[in-house]
Formats: sequence, structure tokens, C-alpha cells
Amino acid sequence: MTNGALIFLMAFLFLFLGYLGVPVAFALIAGVLVAAAFTPVGLPSIMGQLFNGIDVEALLAVPFFLMVGELMTAANVTGRMIVLAQAMIGHLRGGLAQVVTLFSMFFAGISGSSAADVAVLSRTLGPEMKREGYRAGFIAALIASASTMANLIPPSIMAIVYGATGNVSIGGLFLAGVVPGVMVGLGLMVYSHFFGPAGVQHRRATFPEFARAAHGAALPMVIPVIIMGGILSGFFTPTEAGVVAVLYILAVVIPLLNRGYFRDLPRDLAHTGLLYSIPLITIAASSAFGWMLAYLRGPAAVSAWMQGVAGNDPHLIMLLLVALFIIVGDFIDAIPAIIIFMPIITDLVHNTDIKAVHMGVVIIVTLAFGLITPPYGLALLMAAKFTGVRFGRAMLDSFPIYVVFLATILFCIYFPDVVLWLPKHFLPQSVGCFPNPGGTGYICP
Amino acid sequence: MESQRHLKWRAFDPLERILMVLCGVATAGFTVTVVCDIATRMLGHPWLWLQEVTMTFFVYGVFAGAAAATRRNDHLYLAVLAESMSGRKRLAFETFNRLVVLAVAACMVWFGFLNFLSGFHSLRMPSMTPLASFYAAIPLGGLLVALFTIEQLVNGWQNGFADREGRA
Repeated sequence: MTNGALIFLMAFLFLFLGYLGVPVAFALIAGVLVAAAFTPVGLPSIMGQLFNGIDVEALLAVPFFLMVGELMTAANVTGRMIVLAQAMIGHLRGGLAQVVTLFSMFFAGISGSSAADVAVLSRTLGPEMKREGYRAGFIAALIASASTMANLIPPSIMAIVYGATGNVSIGGLFLAGVVPGVMVGLGLMVYSHFFGPAGVQHRRATFPEFARAAHGAALPMVIPVIIMGGILSGFFTPTEAGVVAVLYILAVVIPLLNRGYFRDLPRDLAHTGLLYSIPLITIAASSAFGWMLAYLRGPAAVSAWMQGVAGNDPHLIMLLLVALFIIVGDFIDAIPAIIIFMPIITDLVHNTDIKAVHMGVVIIVTLAFGLITPPYGLALLMAAKFTGVRFGRAMLDSFPIYVVFLATILFCIYFPDVVLWLPKHFLPQSVGCFPNPGGTGYICP
Repeated sequence: MESQRHLKWRAFDPLERILMVLCGVATAGFTVTVVCDIATRMLGHPWLWLQEVTMTFFVYGVFAGAAAATRRNDHLYLAVLAESMSGRKRLAFETFNRLVVLAVAACMVWFGFLNFLSGFHSLRMPSMTPLASFYAAIPLGGLLVALFTIEQLVNGWQNGFADREGRA
């Protein structure tokens, strides 16, 4: 069989089995094993690739940031952040919709998981929004869209996986994700204000009320400072920043805010273990899939085709990649998509002038958008399930919100200087700058 | 543990409990070792072997969790077509899906075992531990996944795959 036929067979088996209901990790491994049987590659070495896929120190950050979200939610600390968001913007038109977005921005700075955000918001603000007359479809669409910010605003699990598999600075990706994250947040707030349901008009919080809310939420709000402060100062790697955040929650936040929670800690440690194993076994399987794809020279063929169409025009190459990832993101989860297609991305970055962090942030925003697009919009599926609305209804309500994401993606492609401003100033080496040999500062090509 | 009870044997409940405890131990284990890694480095006497211990907890945790997720039906899915079906059609789909998982698990056991044997020729620095000690997680994980898949197949054929509420 030719390489092209084997790649087709592998991809077909994965999608066919995946859509029949075989778990993603096993569908991926099945595709790889069948394709490998037609090549000289030994099947035991495919098993070695499963191990290599997760034997990456940077991936340890995934369980830590999942644990941060899990601990904050289980210890019921997130409620304080919702109260703060309400005190800040609950009086605006569509007050609760604005609160959903602002809380998601806060929560995104603590946990890197959209799933945790959807779960918290659907259980807390979801029922309250229904009582105030918001459409169930709108609630699901807004919660799902807002939860995608967890993948953009640091710490982001997608950025960790992208950085770990593509050998790209995770700190740089974290910082580059801030601008698109805030853009999506502001876009959702503008959309809710002008085009969303009005909800119930709440009175503006008085200064003492705001001060009380800010005081109540002060301890959890320190977590983003610890994470980004540690990484930017060079004191911690992202993995270590994750563990320091976990320690801070266990040693400071929970004892001061919810001491009784410690009884449940062993249960939540076990639950976190289960929670992180699910994406990581998928990462292991995707890594074997990506390795086989590279062995069959698939990435070289795709990247040569893309360069044939787009030449060396970075904008056109990124637009083609965005189109590819919008299609891919509609059918498979973001994490396997990143790992499977990483060889193509790496090839394109090497052959063009595109900065790896810039490419990374464009891909991550595109895949975050994939979380709310059908048929496999994971965040929208979860939000629809938790708020008790049909997926089709939630999807219709999410269509206008696509404009916010598409505008953000285009902005990221065409204004790299704005998107890379933060990494350029705080982690210059992450975007290819190097120390000035003749003096102080950095030279950025 | 009570969800999808009709697909489970009570005799395997202690095994699931043990796996969940292992998940917790692995999580606590690599959290502690990363903390010790930071502490010893800050004190100027880094314990280099800590990173190997960390990765051991991490890798075994992944495969233990993946096995537990198989029994709890917690894996990531692209679609769960079979859930919307009933009768013989559903039985056929559910059986086919689990046979695929079983085949993959069997490959993990056999080829993972061959990979484990080859792992004795490669060493992990700085402790010089054979890589086989890490590779062992794959056939072990595969064995547990196979066991839980057989459990679901047999119980599914006996009791049907749909639960009493008509879900999963």
C-alpha cells in the first residue's frame, strides 16, 4: 500500500470507530496498529510511542492545573469569585450574562480547563439565569463560549500540550494567549449587552458591598499572580507554578475559607487522578498516531501542498491552517488534534518566517473555537447537557457568537505585534529575541 | 461505582476501588516529589532521582486511571451513537465497540509485553533503572482494560446494555 493510502486508512479507522462510539484513545490506537501492520514498523515500538507521548515533564502541569480547578470548585471557593463579578458588573444590561463572562475570565486565570468552568457555571449561575428569564439555549451558548477562555488566558492546558509537544515556550504561549482571551471576553460582553436578553435589572453594588466582595475573593484571586509571577520571574517552570498554586490552595485558601473541606481531600485527589488520566491516555494515543503519520511522511506532503498554494505568505499559510483546524476541530478533540498535526505545524514554522509562539496562539484560538462548533463542540455539548437544553437549540444560539471568535482569530493572524507584545516584553527569548551582545536589552528580529 | 451497575460484577468493585486509591496515591506522590524537587534545588542540593520518581507516579497514574475510566465509562468519546439505539441494533453496536477496545487492549498486553522485554536494554539516567520498569505500565493497563471490557460484554449480553433509565 502507498503511504497516502495508509494515512487514509488510519484516519478513516480512527473517525469511523470514534463515531461508532469507541473511546477516542482506543480508536486512535486501533488506527495506528492496523496501519503499522502494513509497514516494517514493529508493533512493540508503537507501544513504546504510547509511553514516549506522556514521558514529558512539561505535561505534569496538566494534572496540577486540573487539580487547582478541582480543589477550588470542590472547596466551594469559586462562589466568592462569582459574588465579586456580580458586584462589579451585575448592574449592567444582561447582568447575569456579563457575570458569566467576567467570572470565566477570573476562573480562566486559575484553571486551564473549560470543562471545570462549564460545570461550575451551569450549576451556579445557570439556574439563576433561567429564573430571570434568559433563554436556555442562550445560557448554554454563553457558558460554553465563555468557558473557552480557559484555553486562552493562562494557565491553559492546550498551551501546555502545544508547548510540550511542539517544543515551544509554554510561558510565551501563556502570555500570547492573554490578548485573544481578553478579546473573546470583551466580545462576549459587548454581544450580551447589545444583542442578548436583558434579564432583570440589578442595582449597582455600593462601595462597601464591592469592598466586601473583593475582600472575600482576594485569596483565590492571588493564584494567577503566583502562577504567572513564578513563570515570568524565571523562578518556576509552568509545572512547578502549578504545584505551587496547589500548595497555596491547600495551605492558605482552604484552611482560611473552608477548613471542613479537608475530609474530602483524599476523594478529590483520586478524582483528579482519574480526571488527568483521561486526556493523557488520549495524548499517548495521539502521540503514536502523530508519530506514524510522520513516519508515512504525511506532514511533509501537507506542508509542501500548503506552501505550494500559499508560497511564503505567512498570513495565507495561517489562514489555510485555521481552515484545516476549524474542520479538524469540528470532528476531533483539541488535544489529539494538536498532537496529531504538530509535525505539520513544525514543518511550516521551520520553512517560513512565522514565529512558533504566534502560530501556536492562532492554532489554540482556533481549537478553542472548535469547542463550540458542531458536531463535536465539547464545551457546548456539556453546557447543553447541564442546562437541560437540546444541543441543536444551543447551537442556534451560539451562531452569532461565532463572529466574536472569527474576529479574534483574524486579529491574531494580522496583528502579531499586538498579540506578541506581552511575550516580547516579559519573555523575549520565547519569541526569538536574543540578548544584545553589545549592551543591555534584547534584539528582536 | 453504582452507575451502570447492570454492566458490572460486584466482585470487581474492590479492584476499581484499588485503582481509584492508586490514582490518588499517584497524584499525591508526584505532587510531593515535585515539591521536594523545588525545595532541594532551592537549597542547593538537588536530588536528581526525584524526577524519575515523579515520572513513575505520573505514568502509572495515567494507566491506572485509564483502566478505571474504562469501567466507569469515563473516557473521551467523539460520539455515542449506540446510546440513541435500542434492541438488537444497540446490542450489535455496543458489542462491536467493546470488541474493538478488547482487541486494542489485547495488543497493549502482548506487544506492550514485548516492548517491556526490550526495555531491559535501555537505562534511565541518572539512576540507571531499566526503562522496562516504566514500560510495564502498558501491558498492566491493557490487562485491566481487557478485564473490564470482558465484564461489560458478558453483563451487557446478559442484562442488556441500556440501563433502567434508558441511558448508556
